[in-house]
Amino acid sequence: MNPLIFTTILMTVLLGTMIVMMSSHWLMIWIGFEMNLLAIIPILMKKYNPRTMEASTKYFLTQATASMLLMMAIIINLMHSGQWTITKVFNPTASIIMTSALAMKLGLTPFHFWVPEVTQGISLTSGLILLTWQKLAPMSILYQISPSINLNILLTMAVLSILVGGWGGLNQTQLRKIMAYSSIAHMGWMTAVLAYNPTLTMLNMLIYIMMTLTMFMLFIHSSSTTTLSLSHTWNKTPLTTTLILITLLSMGGLPPLSGFMPKWMIIQELTKNNSIILPTLMAIMALLNLYFYMRLTYSTSLTMFPSTNNMKMKWQFETKRITFLPPLIVMSSLLLPLTPMLSILD
Amino acid sequence: MMTYIVFILSVIFVVSFVGFSSKPSPIYGGLVLIVSGGVGCGIIVNFGGSFLGLMVFLIYLGGMLVVFGYTTAMATEQYPEVWVSNTTVMGVFLLGLLMEVMLVLYVLKSEEVGVVFKFSGVGDWAIYDTGDSGVFSEEIMGVAALYSYGAWVVIVTGWSLLVGVLVILEVTRGD
Repeated sequence: MNPLIFTTILMTVLLGTMIVMMSSHWLMIWIGFEMNLLAIIPILMKKYNPRTMEASTKYFLTQATASMLLMMAIIINLMHSGQWTITKVFNPTASIIMTSALAMKLGLTPFHFWVPEVTQGISLTSGLILLTWQKLAPMSILYQISPSINLNILLTMAVLSILVGGWGGLNQTQLRKIMAYSSIAHMGWMTAVLAYNPTLTMLNMLIYIMMTLTMFMLFIHSSSTTTLSLSHTWNKTPLTTTLILITLLSMGGLPPLSGFMPKWMIIQELTKNNSIILPTLMAIMALLNLYFYMRLTYSTSLTMFPSTNNMKMKWQFETKRITFLPPLIVMSSLLLPLTPMLSILD
Repeated sequence: MMTYIVFILSVIFVVSFVGFSSKPSPIYGGLVLIVSGGVGCGIIVNFGGSFLGLMVFLIYLGGMLVVFGYTTAMATEQYPEVWVSNTTVMGVFLLGLLMEVMLVLYVLKSEEVGVVFKFSGVGDWAIYDTGDSGVFSEEIMGVAALYSYGAWVVIVTGWSLLVGVLVILEVTRGD
């Protein structure tokens, strides 16, 4: 793609999310979502083959449907309250429809079916943008309407997402699908605490984005999209095997690493609000996630995965320069001692 | 009948939407789109927005649909699908028509339809002229406000259109 046009389209993706996050008029928010969707389609289709075209079409159809539902909720809200500003949603019907629309945009269950298929069909860099940047805009709207969301629907979608994210990722060997199911599960954790303490949703989003960025960049660095290909990184750059180990365990939420911080805070916040069964279930289902992360680390860093002798040498392309990888790795593993700093968020 | 003109126009609007949603060939879809555009213009004009209605006719029907019609005529196939040619298309069209007819009968029979919002009978959308609404016409003032207070909206829409062109060119370019 022509670099100038690529830059313009990428800037429009950023502009769309910025418009969503900083507007107070519902129509501008909808316009921001549409601009974001329109501009990300050619980025998803950067490599021109039927796979990416199919993935982009699926993404476009689901997100356009979600935008239509959002517009309907906006109009119902307008009819019942007579004004366009985002303060709270004044009608339960509008609130339910809006929550469903934003859940479709995020990829929460029962609207999660597009996430693995779209993530698998596009390149690693496009998948990175899809799973991190595209989650910011819907989550910011959920944050703003969080006082008026129906709790039953939100918690049901959250718990089912954690379940589907854990179970669905168990049978996968393709790395992009694993990251997609991991994204579904993390979105579930984020929306579970949304009604209780939205600040923790933002904290979880921040740490999730850092960890997913790190994982994708490690995959891009070793040019691997399958588990088998990832298991050959000991041959190319042995250091990345250790980094993959640390980051994956952080994503699984293991204690001395920073991925534990959002899970710990969320469980604490939920128990403070007298719900015990829910965080127990969520913590148990996070073990499913941990299982397939452990399987990846087992095949990558802990063992020399069996393969035929001629596959042991990975073809050495020019080393890709990955910006910010060392700070990202540090941030996605060592942030846990900074947890007391969260008191400044109030 | 003239008091219920908005309701009648809205029924024709929905029927024409059903007409192109049942996916005949695009040239027939464009035909029904013209009807729906004209009827939509009629609804807007009935609510006092004569400028916006004529804008719909000029720009939407006279600009965009004409271009759409020409491009579809260039890309058309030898035997385009019409509503009665394919069982599926006819079935979907009849289903949509049936649902609309049932809804209209329900509205005409009962006093109030409260699905998502209260629609209390056919007279709900009749325009009662309650005298002057001021010296200025509301919708012209709205258009003027778009270009003064709503400058940011104009910038955003203009940029979206530019990026829309770039995106379409990129997507259809191929390798």
